[in-house]
Formats: sequence, structure tokens, C-alpha cells
Amino acid sequence: MRVLVRAAAPVTSEEELGDIAEEYARGATPVWVCRQLLSAVGRGSPRRMSRRSGAMVFAQTFADLRLALRTLRRHPGFALAAIAPIALGVGLNTAGFSMFDAIALQPVASPGADQLVTVYQNFQGVKKRRVHGARRMFSFPEYRTLRDGTRSLTGLAAFTRHWTVTLGGDAPREVNGALVSCNYFDVLRIVPALGAGFTSATCDAADAPPAVVLSHSLWTAAFASDRAIVGQTISLNGRAVTVTGVAPEGFGGIDIAQVSFFVPLSMQAVLRPEDRFYLDPDTSWLTLVGRRNAGRTMAQVRAELGLVAGEIDRQQPGRTTTLIVEPARSLSMPEMRRGIFQLAAVISAAFGLVLLIACANVANLLLARGAARQKEIAVRLSLGVPRGRLIRQLMTESLLIASTGTIAGSLLARWSFQGLLALLVSLAPNQVPALRLDAGVNLHVIAFAIAITGVTSLAFGLVPALQASRLDIQTLLNRDTAGAGRRSAGWLRGSLIGVQAAVCTVLMISAALLLRAAYVTETLDPGFDYRDVAVVSFDTRGLGFAPPQAATFRRMLVDRLRGLPGVESIAEAGKTPLSAGDMQTSVRRADGEAWQEIDFNIVSPEYFAVVRVPIVRGRTFTASENAGPTRTVIVTEATARRFWPGEDPIGRTLRMALGPDRDTPLEVVGVASDAQVARIADTTTPCMYLPADAESADGRHLLVRSSADRAALARSVRAIARDLAPGLVVSVAPLEQNLDLWRGLSRVIAGVSGSLSLVALLMAAVGIYGVVAFVVSRRLREMGIRMILGAALGDVRRLVLRQTLRPVVIGLIVGIAAAAAASRVLESVLFGISPLDPISFAAAPLLLLAIAIAAGLTPTRRLRSIEPSAALRRD
Amino acid sequence: MAKGEHLGEFEHIVLLAVLRLGNGTYGAAIRREIESRTRRPLTVGALYRTLDRLETKGYVRSWFGDPTPERGGRSKRHFEIRPLGVRTLRASHEALTAMWEGLEAKVTRGA
Repeated sequence: MRVLVRAAAPVTSEEELGDIAEEYARGATPVWVCRQLLSAVGRGSPRRMSRRSGAMVFAQTFADLRLALRTLRRHPGFALAAIAPIALGVGLNTAGFSMFDAIALQPVASPGADQLVTVYQNFQGVKKRRVHGARRMFSFPEYRTLRDGTRSLTGLAAFTRHWTVTLGGDAPREVNGALVSCNYFDVLRIVPALGAGFTSATCDAADAPPAVVLSHSLWTAAFASDRAIVGQTISLNGRAVTVTGVAPEGFGGIDIAQVSFFVPLSMQAVLRPEDRFYLDPDTSWLTLVGRRNAGRTMAQVRAELGLVAGEIDRQQPGRTTTLIVEPARSLSMPEMRRGIFQLAAVISAAFGLVLLIACANVANLLLARGAARQKEIAVRLSLGVPRGRLIRQLMTESLLIASTGTIAGSLLARWSFQGLLALLVSLAPNQVPALRLDAGVNLHVIAFAIAITGVTSLAFGLVPALQASRLDIQTLLNRDTAGAGRRSAGWLRGSLIGVQAAVCTVLMISAALLLRAAYVTETLDPGFDYRDVAVVSFDTRGLGFAPPQAATFRRMLVDRLRGLPGVESIAEAGKTPLSAGDMQTSVRRADGEAWQEIDFNIVSPEYFAVVRVPIVRGRTFTASENAGPTRTVIVTEATARRFWPGEDPIGRTLRMALGPDRDTPLEVVGVASDAQVARIADTTTPCMYLPADAESADGRHLLVRSSADRAALARSVRAIARDLAPGLVVSVAPLEQNLDLWRGLSRVIAGVSGSLSLVALLMAAVGIYGVVAFVVSRRLREMGIRMILGAALGDVRRLVLRQTLRPVVIGLIVGIAAAAAASRVLESVLFGISPLDPISFAAAPLLLLAIAIAAGLTPTRRLRSIEPSAALRRD
Repeated sequence: MAKGEHLGEFEHIVLLAVLRLGNGTYGAAIRREIESRTRRPLTVGALYRTLDRLETKGYVRSWFGDPTPERGGRSKRHFEIRPLGVRTLRASHEALTAMWEGLEAKVTRGA
């Protein structure tokens, strides 16, 4: 308490402090003391305070804050009208920033995460490169060179993206895991909750037995938290693997996609024997994470690793490598970060526009209030209060509104974020792994909230404060307050209305485009028949089947399924129509030079009949299509138009790239109708179909057209699969689900955009209503004079409306132009409609204009009830 | 009452407290007196603002006394009412009494 009293000494008077100290000595409570100190601040001795100008400013600021609080308490309607839109605008922006921060800016979940760095590479001059993941990743030999050559990192570890394998047991399931280097847990300083993790014995040696570290969540879910699990063997893809540890709770890797288990890199060949690239120097598959030496800066680490990368270049003449070394984040891949940043920019722009409308609304409110207080402010200025002091006082009020709005908005953001995340998770396809998203209140979010408070208070408070504090002798001397304030204030109000109208137009047109795109996806015909088709998915590699075994299993499964009641036809496909993920390769005409990217699918001959995509020219595949030296291909109509415009493509040849120096000829035997098989509303991207290789072990889907009940069919399929291959994980889903994924995405985007534009429209309408109401109330005397001189009520109303709506119309025109530029950004999600769709560009501005007219007409109804003579007497 | 010699309600109460407590009284005592008689809380800041105003108008005079240990070594500020203050109080009292005439019964009956 004594400290508090001493702290208040510069800004309170001696007698007050003495009284407070005396009462405290007599038993006053600390609460009482604080109240008294608050009441006394600012009344300090002018002589003493002038010696300490900081104390004077503090005292004045405190007094301004108290005055602002009192003002807002006395005018709760104004306070609510000002704080609510700011809370909404700030809430949206804070929620968006929290999401972006959680995805892209938060450090990884590891002790000392600020010392961790991720490493990727760009290289040229490499003839052939296989890619499992991304080209920027490293091969194992490249990783080893960097690991052994660096001194600026205490350790460099490697890990893969998540791999899906089958966990065997009583209830086989698919689980996602990561392959990691032996020093992975050491570099990250993650201590296993059970067991020793990976040691030299279980990891480094060439003949080390297969080992696995389970995640805590998998250990709990699949092994009932059995503390005796360490040392036991489990089955992964049909292989026996020894459990050597359990990771601590909450750790599922440092990537944003969490994993359920960790195995050494050397187990790549064990888990995927048909695809051996563990020691291959030409396969990109590893992401690197290292821990900086204390005392080494990022620049030093980059320089040293760059030198070590030179060693890799020397081993491959002609190669030049540049490394990308960045602080480790959950989302570390450069392309994905670029994508996220671009998406965040678009979303921030939209949310920022809503905040802009809110600020314009509040600025108009403050302008109106400033106009009402003109006399009071003019008197204060003429009594000698410095203009700066007055501006500071008005800005304190703005800061208080902004701060309160930020706190309310941040709370709103916190609650709505969880709901939004739950919504997105519910719409995500099942294949999406669990994501680590921690959007708590952290320094980033707090800093963002403080920054947005400052910016918004300046945005809506500065101009009205400057406006209100300008001394106008005319106003001081003249009792006539008609004219609704100075001309400059009127121009400002008009500009703010215009800005709101422009921003609202952009948001509404964007929402209209997205809503129309959502409607198109709901109603379009995708060009194939998805009804009564079930997709049966399985991966025989999950049981460790070799290719001949896999082919036998598939044949037996198809034979047994054909015998089920209701089954009409069955086809195999590498990718089902409209499923996530692309299969692409490069082709060119046999007589042409330029290679082109093309979507492709690998299908059995029955595919076109099952999904009812007609063959419009030529034929479908035969059963032994792959036997000859030249492979066959069926192209779509769009592909035929692209490569042989106006010609018959049957019998023509395409060449398909198999590697940098190899390609193979493909003879066109058929042309299939254009269908939206790769992306919704897309029938123009070239696509081709290759015949399925019966002997391949690759993951395949069966498309089963059946009139039987879906649930019964699914049960039968699983029973047959269990009978043929116990332990194989089989999923059965309707083909319609693929369409639902696109529809769901479209619905969410349209829903969010629609809600945003609705909020913007509401705020703009309220803003226009407020301005017109204000203008009417200030110009009643002028209206009275006009009506006495013969003007009809309708004429007077039209005059007010015309002047108020002029900036709205200007704003609409500017908004339409801005929307035309902005809609290009949305092109990738505008399925089936043009970014300049005329219906959207006409409907949205017309709707806004209608609402603006209605919002403007309502307050002018008041003119009906005024007596012209009574209006003349108004001051 | 001459023009300009107006007493607000609170100014009236503070002057009465200074008069009752006698010349030489000080802020804390005045505050305690007002709180106990009016039964409403009064902050130190509000009291001294009013006392400053009364001193500016010439109704009271103040001076600083010796510091005391129980006040953390700070001085008391003593007050005494001045003749102008007494006259203004009387005028204000007369005006109020004139307005109250005949109304006591109505107020006590709760009409």
C-alpha cells in the first residue's frame, strides 16, 4: 500500500495523500485506499507537476480516460453502437489470425523449439530424380553428407511425411506413421514416456531388428496403455516389429499432420519392399530438422550448410544446390507455406474489409457526435485549451472504444474458433490425418490484438477528432446550427458512406459468385453416373502381399463379388472419379515436340460401363491390352481436341514420359466422353485412361455397380475380403461421397462468404440509416423553410435522399470495378461459373442500392410529421 | 442574493461542515463529518476539488500545518471560513428556507 501511495505522489497533492495515509493508519481497507487514490489523481500541485511533464501527461491521460468512461456510461446506446461493430470486425480478424498463426507461425512442439531449423533444397542440373513427397526433399546419402559435415548444428535429423500402413491384430486398422533417423528424438529433445526409443543397437546397425516407437495416443487406443508393451512385437504391413518405446503424451511429430508411430529410416524397405529407395541417391523423400548450436546465428548456419551442400554438388558434376534453411514451424514445406500465406492474404483482405466498414460506421458516429458538441468544443478552444489536448481527449475516447471492442472481439474469436475448427474437421475427408492446431492466446495473438486496437482507433477516431477540434468562430457566434455542421464534415460523412458502399459491393459480389458456384456444384451433372456405385478400397501391401499374390487376391475377390445378388458389373481403377489427389504425367504427340501435363487414370475395361461414361469413338480396352509392344490409351474428347483438332484420333500415337530420357508410345484406341473425373466442373483439362496391369500390386479401387442395399453390400464385401485375406483393411463407400467432398467445400466457402457479406451489408445499411437520420435532424429548419416556400414533402425527401445516395452510387461503381479485379483470385473455387458472372455483378449492387434506398427513406418519414412553422423556430 | 454568489448543493454542505467544525479544521475531519451526517460516501478528490473552488471564490482560506508521522510525514491543510463565505451561506440558507416554506408537511407525509 505504501508503494502505491508513493507511486501516486507525483500526480496527487500532499494533503490528499496525507488524508489517505491517515485513514489507512486508522484502519481503512486497501480497496478504500485505491478508490481514494483514483479520485485524487490529476489534482496534483501544478507547480510540482510542471517540473515533471511526464507526470502531467499521465495525470491528464488518466483524467481523459475517466472522462471517456463516464461519457460512455452516460450514453450506453452510443457506446453499444460504437463497440459492437468494432468487436465484430476485430473478432473476425483475430480468429483468422489465430488460425493462420497456429498453422504457419507457431514453433514446433519441442523443447527449445526456437533453436530448431528445417532444411530443404533447390537443385538444377540433375538428369533423373524420383520423388516421394516433394522434389525439395533429400535422399539419404545427401542427408548423411549434411549431417556429418555440419558444425553449426548440434544434430541434424531426418523424417518423412506420414506413411499409411496396416496395423495387424484382432482389429486391423490403417495407421499413419513417420520414418525417422536414429537421432530424431535426441535432436528434438523428446524423452520417451516408456522404453529407450531408438538406440544404436536398434537403429544404426545394418542388421538391426525392425523397431517402432508408438505415439501415446496409439498406445492408449490400440494397446490399452499396456505398460508391458515395450519389448513386444506388433504387425505393421504384415511384418513383425518390436516396440522399443512410447512417445510422451501429446507428441505426434513436429509436422502439422500428426503421426501414430515412428520407425527408423532403414525400415523403408521392410514396409514397402517393392519400392526400395532407402540408400538411393536420386530419390527425394526426407525432410531435415536440426538444432542450432548456442551462439550460432541463422546466417552462420545457412552459410556453413551451403558450404557442405557444395560437397553434394561435387559428387554429381553439373549439379548446383541451394539450401532453404528456416526456423522450424509445424508447416515447413515452402510450397505449402506459400499457399497458406496466399490464402491468408485473401482471407485477411476479406475480413479486413469488414473491419473497414465497421470503422467507417464508428467514424460516422463520432463525426455526428462531434457536430452535436460543436458549441461545447468551440467554447473550450476559445477558453485556451490547446487543440492538441482536445484531440488527445477525443482520441482517448476512441482508444477506449477500440480496446473494449478488441477485448469483446477476442473473446468472440476464441469461442467461435473452436466451432469453426470442429466444422472444418467434420467436413474433411477421412483420409486427412489428425492436425496439430493450437490456437491459444499467445504472444503473437496478443501483439496482433494490440496492433489492431491501435490501428482501428486511429482509423475511426483521428479524422473525427481533427474535424471536431477545428475552431470555427462562425459556429461560436452563430446560433444557427442548420446546415448539419460544416461543409467539410458533410463531405467526410459522404466519403465514409461511399467507402462502406464500395467495400460492401466487393464483399457481396464475391459472395454472390461463391453462392452461385455452390449452386452449380449441387445441381450439375458430372458426366458420369455415381448412383448405385460402391467404391471398395484396399491396399494389399498392408499385408505384405507380393505382386502375384495381390493379383490373385484381386481376381478372387472380383469373382466372388460378381456372384453377389444385385451386382451388375465391377471395374478396377487407380483413382475413382472426383476423388482427392491428382495422377499426372507428361505426354506429347509422336510427331510433336512439346511435352504437356495430362491427368490420367489406370482402369479395367469395364470402367466406362460401370460409371456410364460413353465411348464415343473407337472401343474400350480388351482384357489382354498390355500384352503387345505398344500400350494402348483411351483419350477424352477434350484431349482429342487438344492434340488433333478436327482430326480422327483413333490409331494416332502419343508418347508418355517414363523418366528424363525414356518414353513409351501409346496408341489411341478409343475416345471417351468428357466427364468431370479430376475436378468438379472441369471437362477441359486433358485426361487419358491407361489399361490396368493385372499383375501390379499397387493400391486399387473396385467400382461395384449394384442395385442391392448399400449396407448389405458393404457387409458382404467385407465378409468376402476377410475370408480371402484375414487382416486386410477394406473400406466400402458410395461413389457419391466423392461428389459430397467438393459440394461440402463449396458450401463452406459460400457459407462463410455469404455470412461475411451479410454482416457487411447490415453494418452498411445501419451506417446509411444513421447518416440520413442525422442529416434530417440537423436540417429540419431548412426543410421547414423549403416547405413554406411551396416545396412538396416528396420533393424535400427526394432532395435529402439524392444527396445522401450520391456517394453510395459512386461507391457502388468503384466496388464493381474492384470486384472485377478481385474475383480473379477466387477463380480456383468458382466451379462452373465465370469470375465475371453477369448475374452476380448485377444482382449484388442492385440489392445494395435497394437496401440503401430503404435505409435512407425510413428516417425521412419523420419529415411528414413536422410543422414547417415549428421547424422554423428550431435552433 | 447578488448575481454570481451561488452555492451548489455540495458547496453548501462543505461550507456548513467547515463552519461546524470550526476554524482550523482540516480535510480528513471535514470528510468524516460530511460522511457521518449525510450518510453518503465522499472521495478525497471530490472534497478537495470543492474546497479549492471555495477558496478561489474567497469563501474559505487554507494554510499548511506541520507534518505528522501518522500522515507519512505529510502536512495537514487547515481551513477556515471567511466572512464572504458566511454571508453567502446565510443568503443561500434564506433562499432555501423561502422555497421550503409550507412544504415540510408534504414531504414528511410522503405525498
